[in-house]
Amino acid sequence: MDILARNNVKVKGRGTVPMLFAPGFGCDQNVWNTVAESFEDNYKVILFDYVGAGNSDLAAYSPDKYSTLEGYAQDVLDVCEALKLENVILVGHSVGGMIGALASLEKPELFSSLIMLGPSPCYLNDPPEYAGGYEKEELTGLLDLMEKNYIGWANMFAATVMGNPQSPELSADLEERFCSTDPVIARQFAQATFFADNRKDLPNITVPSLILQCTDDVIASMEVGHFVHENTPHSTFRVMEATGHCPHMSHPEETIRLISEYLAGDMANFEKKKTGDRV
Amino acid sequence: MDDQLNFAPCGFITMDEDGNLISVNETLLILLDYSGEKLSGKHINEILSVPARLFFQLYFCPLIKKEEKVEEMYLSLTTSKGEELPVLINALRRNRNNASVIDCVLIPMRKRDEYENELIQAKKMAEIALLEKDKAVIEMEDLLQKIEEQRQELITLNRENQLYKENMEKELQLAKNIQETSLTEPISNEELQIDAYYKASSELSGDIYGFYQISRTQYGIILLDVMGHGISSSMITMSLQSLFQRLISRGVTGERIMKELDAHLHELFRNNADAWHYCTAIYLFIDTKKQTIEYVNAGHPPALLQAPDGIQYELISTTPPLGAFEGITFVKNSVEYSSGGRLLLYTDGVTDPLDVQHLPDLLMKHPSASLKELKGSILQSLEETESSYTENDDKCFILVDLK
Repeated sequence: MDILARNNVKVKGRGTVPMLFAPGFGCDQNVWNTVAESFEDNYKVILFDYVGAGNSDLAAYSPDKYSTLEGYAQDVLDVCEALKLENVILVGHSVGGMIGALASLEKPELFSSLIMLGPSPCYLNDPPEYAGGYEKEELTGLLDLMEKNYIGWANMFAATVMGNPQSPELSADLEERFCSTDPVIARQFAQATFFADNRKDLPNITVPSLILQCTDDVIASMEVGHFVHENTPHSTFRVMEATGHCPHMSHPEETIRLISEYLAGDMANFEKKKTGDRV
Repeated sequence: MDDQLNFAPCGFITMDEDGNLISVNETLLILLDYSGEKLSGKHINEILSVPARLFFQLYFCPLIKKEEKVEEMYLSLTTSKGEELPVLINALRRNRNNASVIDCVLIPMRKRDEYENELIQAKKMAEIALLEKDKAVIEMEDLLQKIEEQRQELITLNRENQLYKENMEKELQLAKNIQETSLTEPISNEELQIDAYYKASSELSGDIYGFYQISRTQYGIILLDVMGHGISSSMITMSLQSLFQRLISRGVTGERIMKELDAHLHELFRNNADAWHYCTAIYLFIDTKKQTIEYVNAGHPPALLQAPDGIQYELISTTPPLGAFEGITFVKNSVEYSSGGRLLLYTDGVTDPLDVQHLPDLLMKHPSASLKELKGSILQSLEETESSYTENDDKCFILVDLK
């Protein structure tokens, strides 16, 4: 299978150190346009879409595989393998950060650092210890909203994913889809994302990480950000001035700056480690 | 905000890029049960339901950022009293007074929402039905495949069976040949002429015969019919054959021969009642010098002796069949004959399909026919009455011309 075509992989940049950008839930690799471009001078920039999102190959979608975040993490690993990447800097937004973390648990040797924008290991409240931010009904309400916003063109796509033999595969539909995809796939991705609980995985992360926490992020609250930081070894926590959940789009300059600063420091640490000094 | 927009028949809001409300028109404030300017300065999250806040971040923000507009997005608002207000929102990002702002038009759609809910419900039902149908199709395909596998299995079994059958038939044919090889050859000299006919049913025969010249003027003729036919019966005939061959050749008396064969059968089935077979037998001891026939008939159809004058005698059974009861004493009988006499011995496979009188009449009608001609006539009679019934039994007869 051609992974590069399957995941709509785009390789750009003039550097050699690979920087792999993993989108969050909902949209495709275009969310990274501004941020990724700024790293093209010094890095090898890799963009991709998860199977089922953007311009990926919908025929490669498997409801079983992509019913959990591990399936998406495998996409990340597949892309790394297809491009024979090493010492990858993985930049993941929202659930993309968790997907990257899961990929690093599978193959820690592939990654040099993990940069997570607005990550959350669990969106559900689990009182009294943990406040993910949401009750089950509220997350189900989100699924319903998604459904309502697909009215009109749902039927065309639904048939493909359900593998209805009577309707031939989707015509080579390569138009820009940005934030829209097959509603059934979107719903499954949403379920995999918003009902996941990866809190126990955080302490196992060995790759050094940067957590970028927005101010007033309704999706991943400050509290959740702290939780991730406290439970993830070798993690650095930075609170952004940016508000909302998409700092890479709303506040690209700040995002770029914080990532660059971290990488500069991290590379220094990396160099130190190589020479055997204690960090 | 001018009056027209303020009281337009739709909600209208302007917010900054972070989602902070700059202005909200009166129509929306009324719809949401807010009064005055209470909402400006607050974040749009204030009027969004919880799921809508998530959806707003996940879809509205990226879309407005990248596409500069949002069209026909469905969101659910919450009034100040906590009631839900479904709206359709169109938004446009533009620069005003050197700042990027987002203008939104919101159309309440309570009735349409109900209608869409029903549509979604119907769609879900249809999808469930479709899934079930697909499942049924898959199950059916599985079933078809299983049937096909079973068919293939049957074909293989059938082929094996066919092969087995062919081997078996080959084996049976070979066994038949062996059985026929054990039969004695016709005798023809100045004193007598003996000829025989022997035909197994479709399988192996339960009949067996033998004729031996014991001395220059003495001959022994034996004919046995083991109950049933096929492999088991034929094996018994073979074991009896090896026994009577030795006994007759040694010139043992008929009574003794019968006793030995009888004992042999009892011995064979002593511990195996399931395999029990009995056997009818007739033994003729012919002395050509004395012109006498001594015979013992154990349950066998009578042999026919025709004198030169055409008078027929039946050498009838005087004891039960061999292997039937233990401790039987076999008794011999004697008859004299004259030159030109003729003997016919047969098994019931020959007479059963024919009329009782048929063979005696045939013998009577052709007193001067050669043995060969007589044999031909009998066979012709048998052929004429050929049926599935007659095919199913072994046939054997012996003709003797006494000179």
